[in-house]
Amino acid sequence: MKEKTKVGDIDRSLYDFRYEEDERDFFDSGITPGIIGEISDEKNDPDWMREFRLRSLEIYNRTPMVKWGASIEGLDIDNIVTYIRPKTRMNTDWDNVPENIKETFERLGIPKAERESLAGVGAQYDSELVYHNVRKEVAQSGVVYTDLESAMHDPRYAGIIRSHFMKLVPPTDHKFAALHGAVWSGGSFVYVPKNVHLDIPLQSYFRLNAKGAGQFEHTLIILEENSYLHFIEGCSAPKYYEAGLHAGCVELFVGEGASLRYSTIENWSKNMYNLNTKRALVQKNGRIEWVSGSFGSHVSYLYPMSILNGEGASAEFTGITFAGEGQDLDTGAKIVHNAPNTSSYMNTKSISKSGGRSTFRSAVVVSENAAGAKSSVNCESLMLDNISRSDTVPVIDVKTDNCDVGHEAKIGRISDEAVFYLTSRGLSEEDARAMIVRGFADNVSKELPLEYAVEMNNLIGLEMHGSVG
Amino acid sequence: MATERLNILPVPTFASLGVNWAERSVEMYETETIALNAGDEQTVIRYADADTYPFRNLYISLGAGAKMKLVQVFDRAARCVSRLNVSLDESAELELVQVYIGGGDTVSEIVARLDGAGSRFKAVIGCALDGDDSLDIDLIAEHRGRKSLSEINAASVLSGSSNKIFKGTIDFKNGSSGAKGSEHENALLLGNRVRNRTVPVILCDEENVEGNHGATIGRLDEKHIFYMRSRGMSEDKIYELMARSKLMQAIGRVGDREVKARIYNSLGWGDTDE
Repeated sequence: MKEKTKVGDIDRSLYDFRYEEDERDFFDSGITPGIIGEISDEKNDPDWMREFRLRSLEIYNRTPMVKWGASIEGLDIDNIVTYIRPKTRMNTDWDNVPENIKETFERLGIPKAERESLAGVGAQYDSELVYHNVRKEVAQSGVVYTDLESAMHDPRYAGIIRSHFMKLVPPTDHKFAALHGAVWSGGSFVYVPKNVHLDIPLQSYFRLNAKGAGQFEHTLIILEENSYLHFIEGCSAPKYYEAGLHAGCVELFVGEGASLRYSTIENWSKNMYNLNTKRALVQKNGRIEWVSGSFGSHVSYLYPMSILNGEGASAEFTGITFAGEGQDLDTGAKIVHNAPNTSSYMNTKSISKSGGRSTFRSAVVVSENAAGAKSSVNCESLMLDNISRSDTVPVIDVKTDNCDVGHEAKIGRISDEAVFYLTSRGLSEEDARAMIVRGFADNVSKELPLEYAVEMNNLIGLEMHGSVG
Repeated sequence: MATERLNILPVPTFASLGVNWAERSVEMYETETIALNAGDEQTVIRYADADTYPFRNLYISLGAGAKMKLVQVFDRAARCVSRLNVSLDESAELELVQVYIGGGDTVSEIVARLDGAGSRFKAVIGCALDGDDSLDIDLIAEHRGRKSLSEINAASVLSGSSNKIFKGTIDFKNGSSGAKGSEHENALLLGNRVRNRTVPVILCDEENVEGNHGATIGRLDEKHIFYMRSRGMSEDKIYELMARSKLMQAIGRVGDREVKARIYNSLGWGDTDE
């Protein structure tokens, strides 16, 4: 039978399975001092963290909602469960993980990926990490990869956590940073010592299974001088009719001459509000590389920020966004050049179809002390039908003459000439269009760490072969 | 005097960048309306100097096939708010040439509505800022008509501690099938205390369109400077020449010799650009 071709929506069947939760484990929905206190009790927070959470709540209450970006009117924080008591402690052996949770991660391919191609894995289910493990030889090199709560209670790391936690993204940054500071739970702590190069990646996977809930994991990574790490972050959730919320936070400290590649494949279900904050501080000759695939969620606000704080520091952001039916994905990046001879490169692609709305939003700021800075931004958008929307809103703010900043953007549809050329070479029109779309996304999608997680083949979203309805 | 929000970015963005709007105290506007009937052609020149009333609205309506060249020169070292609102009917064409000299504190808003099929809007803008000059330009090309065309070119030269915001929006409304829009900005920065903010926005609610924008910001390329210095030119002269060439993209399109000479004089170039 001849297979027809189209540019399909993302196949979500892999992620839309779910197990019923015991609602007795749910904390009350909403956010109050009482709930914050219960979370602190549950986690046995040190005093400074208890105070930090309550202070964040105060900031949250007095901070207005953002007045730009995609609409989040459908999100009612008072109906969001901010914490779900775990059914298990954190384990270092999959056999000790409760069967349904283990089955969830098996279906997502995480244990298999761990066996085949990862140096360590963390797996979070709802509010808490249920599994964390790192290869022995990696641990022996001095690399620390554990959950943030354990690190906070470990005398060896407690001081580091306290001196770095929410210092890059303070609760005053915006309303959802304050919310995160108040109710954060789970996430990973990674420490890579001086001169240690991890040749194979670490991966954390965040799964939100419960309905009407939020996930607020915190990822803190510290790379010492001349070290290297590739960190992969994956996330998904089954679809519910109730709104869910992801307000995670990622703080990355990249030391002198160190290099960090941070890859994210985000595939939340279409009832999710993904209001995530990610930020990196890069020292002299350090490098941050972001690779970001945004495919899921109902609404996304996601703009990883790189602060180039040391001479010669560099940043590269490579991103792809696919907005399908019912999605409003507001994504992009921010780069601050805050030291001489820093450089940055931003390359993004976005695709809108079936009524989806994608917005590329960026900021490149070159400060007075960034003499010799260089920056290049390139964004391309593809409209696949007439009911979708695509906006591009970049800002370039330059405060020194000694710099070189370039920006290019294109928006359009599949070129008729290209389709004509390919059809004249024997391809059907549908195959020609599919090939062009695949090519459009290729230079970004090839950067995604496909080989490390089984799910990612489905996440790319350019399912070119399928039946036309 | 009432405070008014001007130059509102059609899609607001990160508030900390200060580009979502400009807020100024404004008195009553002086309003002028120009309408060209179908097929008419006209060149209009408006030169704003120190004696010109500082708050001005200009409404332009071009009938089917009408063509207008509008030259606006802002040669004021004082506060100024200019609002230009244009509507273009089928196959109408507007060429807008704007030259900003100094600027004091200038806020300039341009909204061009390309309502008619095949309508065309071309804007060529040159800005020379120095000292404490502040200039905030918000240009919006709204494509509503099929196969409408917009082309925006802005060049600026900033020195001293001047401050410029250029917001250029190409907005493809649903129904503007076949429309094309392009925008390019080039900012030459000649001092370490200048601030240049560029916001090149494309909004797209229509599939069959082509939009692109580009921006180049910074000082001259070291290789170019080296090449010209090796030909015996001083660095000051090189920068002067490059600054002139950027501004001449707009000034060269002014047309009227007297107005050109007045611009050259204001820029301190004498009576000609030679």
